[in-house]
Amino acid sequence: MTSPLYSVIVTLVQVVLAATGGPLLIGLMAKVKARAEGRVGAPIVQPLRDLRKLMRKERLHARHSSVMLPLAPMVIFAATTVAVGISPLVSTRPLLGSSADIFVIVYLLLTGSVAAALGGLDAGTAFGGMGSSRAMTIGALAEPALLVAVIALSIQSSSSNLTTIVSATLAHPDWVFGPSRLLALGALGIVVIAETGRIPVDNPATHLELTMVHEAMILEYAGPELALYHLGEAMRVSLLFSLVATLFFPWGVATGHSVLALVVGVGALVVKTALVALAVALIEVRSAKLRLFRLPELLAGGFVLSVLAVVTGLVTR
Amino acid sequence: MLILAILLVPVAMTLLAASVSWHPWVGWASAAASAAVLGLGVALCVATMKAPEVALHGALRADSLSAFMVVVIGTVSLLATLFTPRTMSQEMQSGVTSARYARHYVVLMEIFITCMLLAVVSANLGVLWVSIEATTIATTFLVSHRRTDGAFEASWKYLLLCSVGIAVAFLGTVLIYYAELHVGGSAHSSSLDWTSVMSVAHHLNPNVTRLAFALLVVGYGTKVGLVPMHSWLPDAHSQSPAPVSALMSGVLLTVAFYGLLRFRAIAVAALGTTYPRTLLLVAGILSLLLASAMLITQRDLKRMLAYSSIEHMGLLVIGAAVGTPLAIAAVLLHVLGHGITKAVLFLSSGEIYFLEGTTEIAKLSSLLSRRPVLGGVFGFALMSLVAFPPFSLFVSELSMARAEVDAGLWWVVAISLGCLGVIFASLTRHARQMLTGTPSGTEVGATTARSVAVPLIGALVICAVLGTVSWPLQSLLAHAAHGAMP
Amino acid sequence: MNTTYVAVLELAAGAVLVSAVMTLWRRNVRSIISMLSLQGIALATAAIVLGWHEHDVALFVTGGLVLVVKGLVVPGVLRRVARLDPRSRESRPLVNVPASLVIAALLIVLSYVVTSRITSLAPSDATRLVPIGVATVLVGYFMLVTRRRAVSKIVGLILVDNGIALVTFLLTSGVPLIVELGSSLDVLLVVVVLQFLMVSMVHHSDTEQLTEMKALHD
Repeated sequence: MTSPLYSVIVTLVQVVLAATGGPLLIGLMAKVKARAEGRVGAPIVQPLRDLRKLMRKERLHARHSSVMLPLAPMVIFAATTVAVGISPLVSTRPLLGSSADIFVIVYLLLTGSVAAALGGLDAGTAFGGMGSSRAMTIGALAEPALLVAVIALSIQSSSSNLTTIVSATLAHPDWVFGPSRLLALGALGIVVIAETGRIPVDNPATHLELTMVHEAMILEYAGPELALYHLGEAMRVSLLFSLVATLFFPWGVATGHSVLALVVGVGALVVKTALVALAVALIEVRSAKLRLFRLPELLAGGFVLSVLAVVTGLVTR
Repeated sequence: MLILAILLVPVAMTLLAASVSWHPWVGWASAAASAAVLGLGVALCVATMKAPEVALHGALRADSLSAFMVVVIGTVSLLATLFTPRTMSQEMQSGVTSARYARHYVVLMEIFITCMLLAVVSANLGVLWVSIEATTIATTFLVSHRRTDGAFEASWKYLLLCSVGIAVAFLGTVLIYYAELHVGGSAHSSSLDWTSVMSVAHHLNPNVTRLAFALLVVGYGTKVGLVPMHSWLPDAHSQSPAPVSALMSGVLLTVAFYGLLRFRAIAVAALGTTYPRTLLLVAGILSLLLASAMLITQRDLKRMLAYSSIEHMGLLVIGAAVGTPLAIAAVLLHVLGHGITKAVLFLSSGEIYFLEGTTEIAKLSSLLSRRPVLGGVFGFALMSLVAFPPFSLFVSELSMARAEVDAGLWWVVAISLGCLGVIFASLTRHARQMLTGTPSGTEVGATTARSVAVPLIGALVICAVLGTVSWPLQSLLAHAAHGAMP
Repeated sequence: MNTTYVAVLELAAGAVLVSAVMTLWRRNVRSIISMLSLQGIALATAAIVLGWHEHDVALFVTGGLVLVVKGLVVPGVLRRVARLDPRSRESRPLVNVPASLVIAALLIVLSYVVTSRITSLAPSDATRLVPIGVATVLVGYFMLVTRRRAVSKIVGLILVDNGIALVTFLLTSGVPLIVELGSSLDVLLVVVVLQFLMVSMVHHSDTEQLTEMKALHD
């Protein structure tokens, strides 16, 4: 199979996987939490059903909103789709793989966050503004930790390009359990929980507006725009989990051009991402949501772990 | 042989004190032990004028510097232990302590003295470290001897801060060892003996040695009481019983300073004079400045004496920073003079505390008229402390100033003289408050016990003699100064 | 075989520093003491691995001693100290937790910059881990200065000692045995004496004395 066609197929496969798998991941986490609490819980495909229900509803915009309101979900969806497409999740040869620098991915995700915050502000409601400001605060605190952890990863492979990191880690399996990697994993774990809005940072199932962070931003959304928003968020969750799984445990990622390797890669990605989701769900079950003014402690801790990862990486190079 | 004898005497005394229950003769026995140490120290001084003494297959080594320090330790400990019986009976009288704790006191004192002696006669820098650490632990219990709230808090703070300092000093020692191991770019077997390190000192890696020396100044400087690591000193020296304060202020600080001198020699050989001089000058001048500031508003007698110790340690460190043979000889003379003077001051303040019931300066007055001998001793000792002639501190401070001028450090002389002037004014003011005035009661001309007056007056006389007639010491001091030079 | 030795040594050194950071992070005194125990075990592991690699029996013995003293005994004594004060959390430290964590990160970077000159003298698998030990010392010093509770200050002291011990093991594969023994036992002795003092203080006055020591000042 020729290289450009292969890359296009890889990208398409990744996008479709994220679009369908994302909501399934969220359903899986809800199911695990329900079972752990002794409930039966909704079926895993429920988020997909919710998306279908929302698509059939009427498009409603709040009275004083501007073009930002419908634009925000589109930006989130678009940015996340691009990020999913160019990351080396299933194979090391996605489309535009040479542009898949970690900083590019991080800032694509950030574009989505900023759009979401602006959308939350747009309707002019108090809760929307509150949610946006909280989300941006958490994002601002999590950014340094994320970037420094990413730098820690790139020290060992001497490049911040994701494909290079994945190939380099595949070539040196003994790197996986080094202290620098483990510390970066810890730091990224905290950041991922903050960015995906899970307990202990934010409760995705809360109904109380005063405890909301992400939920408050979408209070004014309805119908297809809400569906697009949820889909974008779900793809973001699946991207973050898949990145953690692939960067730290890249076995199964296809390196050549064969279709069989691609299929294996898909299977490996599904399994690994599901395991990460399981781990996050278990963490959610075991912790309580932190009070808002205690969040800086957690995120500062993540920052220190990432600095430790960098220094240990420099020291043990 | 001499070295072993010097160490065995206090060890034997420790065992003796531990095995019998308290009785005043135990105190007099410890004083006799200190006198023996002093005598043996003088003999050691004579012996080391020809060549350094070695014992235990080179584990112990004494050159003139070590011998001189032994004499200092012996003198001050003699003064302190002469007061043990009286202090213990006074404390038992006022219910502060009991026979059991008195026994602990003597045992701990002897352990303390043994460790100090071991520090100055060990050949190995690591053993030096261990003994100074051991003195910290021994003196912690001595500081808390009175078992009051203040005493416990002071000893807690003392142990915590000095342990941190000692740990940092350990790191510095390890770095010197590491530099020695890799002399000339190849690993070569060596030891932590001071002579071994000195023999390759010129080849030690400068970067490592610079960091090591800085750590050592901070670490051992904590035990010396240099600013900014000094905060344990006023508390510890004011809360402990008077003989313990005398020993701690008089010699323990200078034993840690001795460690600094040895490491300074290594650093100067490896780095030249500039870097060590700068570090030591900063520490010394800061200590001098802080002490002079704090002495102005002191309200407690013993804390005042403690800050004065910080001041004198600052002077010693400045002298060590200059580092010329004259400076080091002056420093050593100052060590002896300060040790004696501080001991006399603390011991008389202990007596004052027992007789007057307080050490607050404002509450003490007209000591000269009410207790002439004690007041007189205290007054003369304060004169010695501010370096009045004929006491030896005058000679040593003048010589240090001259050495500083010779080295071109005019600004250091200016700052020192300024601080000394401020200190002189403060101490005189406090002294006037305590000593002069008309007594309100009928208690005039009370006699002071002979066991108090005789040692203290004798010590002051020795100090004055040392200040006027230095010839027996001149060659010894010059010889000893070589122990601190590369 | 060599890579296993390097991997284990790196993990052990990393664990020493991570447990130091965790003591700064956690507020519960009991979890702080558990972190200290973990650090002692990691330190002992580093010493034992180094001793095995350098065929140095003295280092082996020291490692075992460190395991017992710093992994078991010292945390045990600290737990008894902590029990003297019913309050189990460090509250209102002089510098709040997020700021302390950021400052810890800065100290870690500082230690890396400062010690690079030391490791360049004799580069080896062991000496290049020295910045980790120095970082632990700095974090311990910071904890000593900024925490109000007596137990936290003792923990800071132990962190300083552990960091220095790690640096000693890495740089010189241990100094002469007697000095090493003196250093390890010294920590134990210091902690025991501190505990004894605190017990005496409790018998003398109330527990407030333990936390804010303000009786003596100028």
